[in-house]
Amino acid sequence: MSGLGPRYPTEKPDHPYVQHTFGGNLFGSYNSLFCAGCGYGIIGHIFTRVFEDEKLDHKLYPLIIGVGCYTQIVTLAHHKSQKFSTLHGRAPAVATGMKMANPSLKPIVFTGDGDCLGIGGNHFIHICRRNVDCTILIFNNSIYAMTGGQSAPTTLYGAKSTTTPYKTFENRSDAVKLALAAGATYIARTTVAHPRTLMKYFKKALRHKGTSVIEVITPCLTYFGSKNLDSLGAENLGLQGNKMDTGGKMIEWIKRNTVRKNQAEFMDDAELFNRYIIGEFRYDNSKIEYSEAYSKIQKVAMGED
Amino acid sequence: MSEKNTKRYLPEGKYVMMGNVAMAEGALAAGLNFFGGYPITPSTEVIEHLAKRLPEVGGSCIQMEDELASINAVMGASLTGAKAMTATSGPGLSLMVETISMAANLEIPFVFCDVQRFGPGSHGPVTAPHHNDIGLIRFAGHGEFQVIALAPMNCQELFDLTITAFNFAETYRCPVFILSDAYLGHLHEPVYIPPKEDIIKSVILRELPQDYSKIFSYKDDETGEYIIPKPPIIGTDYYPPTSLQLPHNTMGLPISNALSFIEILMEKVNSNIEKISITEEYRLEDADIVIIAYGLPVRASYRAVDEARKEGIKVGVFRLITVWSFPEEKIKTVIKDSKAIIIPELNYTGIIAEQVERVKKPETLIKKIPKVGEIHHPDEILKIIKEVSI
Repeated sequence: MSGLGPRYPTEKPDHPYVQHTFGGNLFGSYNSLFCAGCGYGIIGHIFTRVFEDEKLDHKLYPLIIGVGCYTQIVTLAHHKSQKFSTLHGRAPAVATGMKMANPSLKPIVFTGDGDCLGIGGNHFIHICRRNVDCTILIFNNSIYAMTGGQSAPTTLYGAKSTTTPYKTFENRSDAVKLALAAGATYIARTTVAHPRTLMKYFKKALRHKGTSVIEVITPCLTYFGSKNLDSLGAENLGLQGNKMDTGGKMIEWIKRNTVRKNQAEFMDDAELFNRYIIGEFRYDNSKIEYSEAYSKIQKVAMGED
Repeated sequence: MSEKNTKRYLPEGKYVMMGNVAMAEGALAAGLNFFGGYPITPSTEVIEHLAKRLPEVGGSCIQMEDELASINAVMGASLTGAKAMTATSGPGLSLMVETISMAANLEIPFVFCDVQRFGPGSHGPVTAPHHNDIGLIRFAGHGEFQVIALAPMNCQELFDLTITAFNFAETYRCPVFILSDAYLGHLHEPVYIPPKEDIIKSVILRELPQDYSKIFSYKDDETGEYIIPKPPIIGTDYYPPTSLQLPHNTMGLPISNALSFIEILMEKVNSNIEKISITEEYRLEDADIVIIAYGLPVRASYRAVDEARKEGIKVGVFRLITVWSFPEEKIKTVIKDSKAIIIPELNYTGIIAEQVERVKKPETLIKKIPKVGEIHHPDEILKIIKEVSI
């Protein structure tokens, strides 16, 4: 990403913090701390664009960020958005506290596969169960990339990582199925290879009142791509597999390894093994939102109702 | 609004209250808006009482999925400008340590009620007191920071000191602990609730910072004083749009000098020790034997001192209400001329005894009276007083 994008006039907004978050200014240069071939640049870009397009009030949409490579998105995300980097896995709990203390806020949670499904799995289940009004973006690169490529709960079966040097022998967890079971009210999955769909889902999630979960499949070239072949997800075809040594090859692999939801309905488990189903899985406006439900309790307690 | 305010404060008068309930009422009087908790014996009554009382005043009380979530929700709530609190006991505290460290480093104020109990498991005598967390709260954190801990000894103080704890949290922006224990939390005692006007006068409200480029503590270059601004609040213009995890300066921007960052976290509390340190002296005027105590053992010590004085032994009690940060200078002056120090503590290690040992003269005799799972009887302390007075 660094320096390759078009150079716009470097007009700096008048704000004391702009030197440190200028990357997130739409009219600046898109410098990022991510490796070449990483998908987080696209996600940071999309967040910033949506923030600007939707004219989101920076005071009402705090960005709660978990721990992973994407924590560095603070330099890319919109320079006005109020960001808070939490501890590993605890972002949903922080978002719950914020929403309950100030119900006018709508937290946007950035979390990763290890962050959300590994260490913070419990908080993720319970924020979905409560239907707290917030937007959760789960970035799934199927590896712990920040610590150098260890296996994650989402690592595909048979993939190699530094802690599974022969191959991954565990079943992977599925964020969408988990969210469906836990009771989130807007659930979708897409990839960074489909940025316009991601933008559409993100905007829809922002307008939805309730917990929205969007899982974003994103490539990690440095630690996942370099160790694995693109035959992952195509085991039943008996392919030889090629190395995924460039960002483009990983994006191609992601595109090939995803199945649309309507297509997946006609496919059996063997065909869907190690592949990602993309699409919208639930959109439910009927369930009451958590802080709204609690405000009713408050009215009863105050004797107004 | 009037409805909310009338319900927040109990009418003036005397009530018989359980310790945990007195603590909850004290928090409400101090302006509590958010409570995130998880049930654990013996602190459960705090969340039970607040679940009923907080919605009445427009606040939220949530039972989170675990202790990790409770403390993180409390941190999130405090970031949005709510006065927030959690209550737990030993095992819960262990789970919360990581977040306490982070909140301390980011100077997010909140109050922490630690109703200390015996043992880690759920099958032991968990309703017995054991002051075992006293070292944990001071030394367990990652990174370095100074905490404030207040140790009440009766239900009235649980009410009063909770208000003080909230004021300290707002003023010094560090974790403030209330060190209750299983017996104190379950004790029923008369509590005098002062009139509403008096409480309102004594409470420090959450305010916005004066200047949005000065939102974290810093050292004034000219005077050398440590200045603690009001905390930044999400949802207002006074919040920096940047990551705060790294060592940061007063604006919240990353700096390379981590030592100066740690120094500010420690010294902002230590330099204000005169204001933070609350102590009580009991019959100390001419005493050559000093009992240093905090929490429940103070009650037995007072009684033992009365008995010993009848027999002509010159003994007095120096009571620590603020346990952390440790008032070294005050202790030094108190034990300057004493020939013996007796420290009854509800633990075996004697964590405060270790601190006193650090500051006492080498020739002064120090005698610990450890006790675990039960409280000191005045006679036990009296026996030790007689032993050392010979």
